[in-house]
Amino acid sequence: MSTEHSKAAADFIANRSQEQWHDETLWMVRAKRDNQSKSLPEWEQLRDLASAIKNYTNSHLDTLLQEFEKNAIANGAIVHWAKDADEHNRIVYDILKQHNAKILIKSKSMLTEECEMQPFLAEKGIDVVESDLGERILQLMHLKPSHIVLPAIHVKRQQVGAMMEEKLGTEKGNFDPTYLTHAMRRHLRQQFLHADASMTGANFAIASTGEIVVCTNEGNADMGTSFPKVHIATFGMEKIVPNRESLGVFTRLLARSGTGQPITSYTSHYCRPPEGCEFHIIIVDNGRSDILAQPDHIKTLNCIRCGECMNTCPVYRRTGGYSYSYFIPGPIGINLGMLRDARKYAGNLSACSLCLSCSNVCPAKVDLGEQIYKWRQTLDSIGRANKEKKLISAGMKYLMERPALFNTALKFAPIVNHLPRFMVYNAANAWGKGRELPAFAQESFNDMWKKNKVK
Amino acid sequence: MSSKEEILERIRRNTEKRYEMPDLNMDAIAYEDKIDTFIKVLEASGGEAHLLAPQEDLNVVIRSYYPQAERIGSNLPGITCATFNPDDLTDPRGLDGVDVAIVQGDFGVAETAAIWLPKQTKHKAVFFISNALVILLDRNEIVNNMNEAYQRIASASYDYGVFMSGPSKTADIEQALVFGAHGPIRVTVILK
Amino acid sequence: MKVGLFIPCYINAVYPEVGVAAYKLLKQVGVEVDYPLDQTCCGQPMANAGFEDEAVRLALRMEDLFKSYEYVVGPSASCVAFVKENHPHILQKSGHVCQNSRKIYDICEFLHDVVKPTELPAEFPHKVSLHNSCHGVRELHLSSPSERNIPYYSKLRDLLKLVKGIEVFEPKRVDECCGFGGMFSIEEPEVSACMGHDKVMDHISTGAEYITGADSSCLMHMEGVIKREHLPIKTIHIVQILAAGL
Repeated sequence: MSTEHSKAAADFIANRSQEQWHDETLWMVRAKRDNQSKSLPEWEQLRDLASAIKNYTNSHLDTLLQEFEKNAIANGAIVHWAKDADEHNRIVYDILKQHNAKILIKSKSMLTEECEMQPFLAEKGIDVVESDLGERILQLMHLKPSHIVLPAIHVKRQQVGAMMEEKLGTEKGNFDPTYLTHAMRRHLRQQFLHADASMTGANFAIASTGEIVVCTNEGNADMGTSFPKVHIATFGMEKIVPNRESLGVFTRLLARSGTGQPITSYTSHYCRPPEGCEFHIIIVDNGRSDILAQPDHIKTLNCIRCGECMNTCPVYRRTGGYSYSYFIPGPIGINLGMLRDARKYAGNLSACSLCLSCSNVCPAKVDLGEQIYKWRQTLDSIGRANKEKKLISAGMKYLMERPALFNTALKFAPIVNHLPRFMVYNAANAWGKGRELPAFAQESFNDMWKKNKVK
Repeated sequence: MSSKEEILERIRRNTEKRYEMPDLNMDAIAYEDKIDTFIKVLEASGGEAHLLAPQEDLNVVIRSYYPQAERIGSNLPGITCATFNPDDLTDPRGLDGVDVAIVQGDFGVAETAAIWLPKQTKHKAVFFISNALVILLDRNEIVNNMNEAYQRIASASYDYGVFMSGPSKTADIEQALVFGAHGPIRVTVILK
Repeated sequence: MKVGLFIPCYINAVYPEVGVAAYKLLKQVGVEVDYPLDQTCCGQPMANAGFEDEAVRLALRMEDLFKSYEYVVGPSASCVAFVKENHPHILQKSGHVCQNSRKIYDICEFLHDVVKPTELPAEFPHKVSLHNSCHGVRELHLSSPSERNIPYYSKLRDLLKLVKGIEVFEPKRVDECCGFGGMFSIEEPEVSACMGHDKVMDHISTGAEYITGADSSCLMHMEGVIKREHLPIKTIHIVQILAAGL
């Protein structure tokens, strides 16, 4: 009764040393996050406030987005609205075409991944250069990110070194992260200086001022936007916050949660374009407005993309980002995938033991685990319930609704304990992977009680 | 109907319950010694701090941190160790290869060691492109936390501004921390 | 104070001694306790697997079995949490207002918050490692979840303080999931077994002889790992320690 996720997970775990490294490294990030969160007595109050601000913004998107647009235009920005991925990509391409731009330097944006913008632009002859170090490494290796904040967490230094040796001419056999990072710095410096246009996502868009805010540690968004005459910033509409003061809440939570730092090295506010430059802002819906009508799932719009639910998830840590079929993995990715296309991404729903660590770690209080439980209840109706699991469940129901039958079954159950091991294991093959079956008691509690043996 | 109208219409149709904006006033952390906290957090994030003594000469101090520097850029008055004024450049690409840039911080935040730097040069690249950045900061201009910081700039006017905390960094290769991913490899804050 | 003892299906079938210990313990602290016969299952396995509707009749049956009791008390945090958190909306669909959810307690929670015993005759001269189970911690609040910034507390540790001779430890990853998760354990067997192994090793690293906790399901899972890998640690339900010598 394996699922798409469990099959891919089994492959990841087969390389036990890599799996252990992945698990321990991400656990270390979780531990750093714990240290940071416990350095602030008001941590839980900040989470409450973040969630309350998001409740407000996600129930006032119409007014806030219009306020943002008005202020952004007053600042000299050009504002576009994209109802879906296609429109988003076309808007970007049209801007680039207008400026005859061929090289686009781009900082990390989950939204452009969601819109599959890069392949679209590549087909039109635009060279999209990722400027986040991890993203650039993956781009040169023709790989996808496996984590939303630590995109190359699944790649080893030797692999990075080998790729850079081949593509950037670094020293053979030098896998030192400092050496490789500084070689990448030199490589990307040239890309920054010679790009025709730049693109960033936005961590926050402030309605009252019409500015966008981008958080990075590398400074790649700032470098990218420092030279070309055109800056395109794109954001999913749930990134709106009412005012600057609300960032006094979110900037205290974001990096502490994501990487266990007090704040990212750079929290950059883009308000007005430099003289002679163009600043385009794209407000993207792409399914978000539909989520507003789903009370069970609306809180996914609280997400600030810190990635901590991945770091704390015992399944994600042991199975890696590629074991999930949606481009965002982990607890938030399971949920966002279901909202994107439930039939297509239902194979990720098994990747959860319902431990609820994600819901407790989330800085914006998204009820991630609880939502996964709710999604599971819909599988049967969308024709994605696992047949075997359904059979086991129906069998259990049948048995459990008939106490007499259940009690009789328990009488005979101990006999199973004496069946040849291989027969037991054929029946419960999956449990047999790594674990012995529990032994049934010679006498059930119910029987003991009836015989007055419980005293 | 334009996409904008279509999106707004869908939002209005799908918005069910409307929630109030919460009161953001809170008892946020305050530090007994803000300067000391600022320095400790800065050092933890890879930056270095220098508390300028009354008898010390600012330019001599900067020089002592960067004795090998050849191209030093600043548009600040009184920074005589600067070798050029970045505002004299029409193209920011000309800043590539600068050793040290010296800029003025508006205020600092003890909680995060972030310094608010509104754009103060013709090119914002000055903050990012040099190998090292020296930030001058008045030690009396340190607030406790980001809540206070954002209250302070709640209605400030700027083209661009950045809260900067320590040097540029990355841990994208096996979570090994490396300074100087793209921006300054070294950041020195001089507390006046 | 009339208590109905809730014995979940796998305790009934696999660990009846846990049920016996729970009964003795409740008697010991002076509670009038009864076991409504022919209990089966709370419906959690089906619901967590995505078949909540298959739990409706089981939930109704539990309502009926326990309707005359002031409290429902069971030695399984996860099953108790399921009744408390999910029976209300499961039953709502059939127009029934759930009664059990407001009177059901995990036995540790019940002892700690309601009975509040100040002494127990128990003696257990061993080193134990506390297993803070997911639903015990994050749904029933038996201890402070490691994710939250709230002062440390552990109702299990508080109760174990009443036991003579015991030494209590906690694993480094204090409340990480053991990987059981009901159907999860067979739907994602490699991941589940890997989590189980890691958890047992973490418990072993404390130097404890026993893993103990309020959830037989987690203990059952870890016992499966221990037996398969012949690891030097045993599992024991916390009520068996608290009822030691009774």
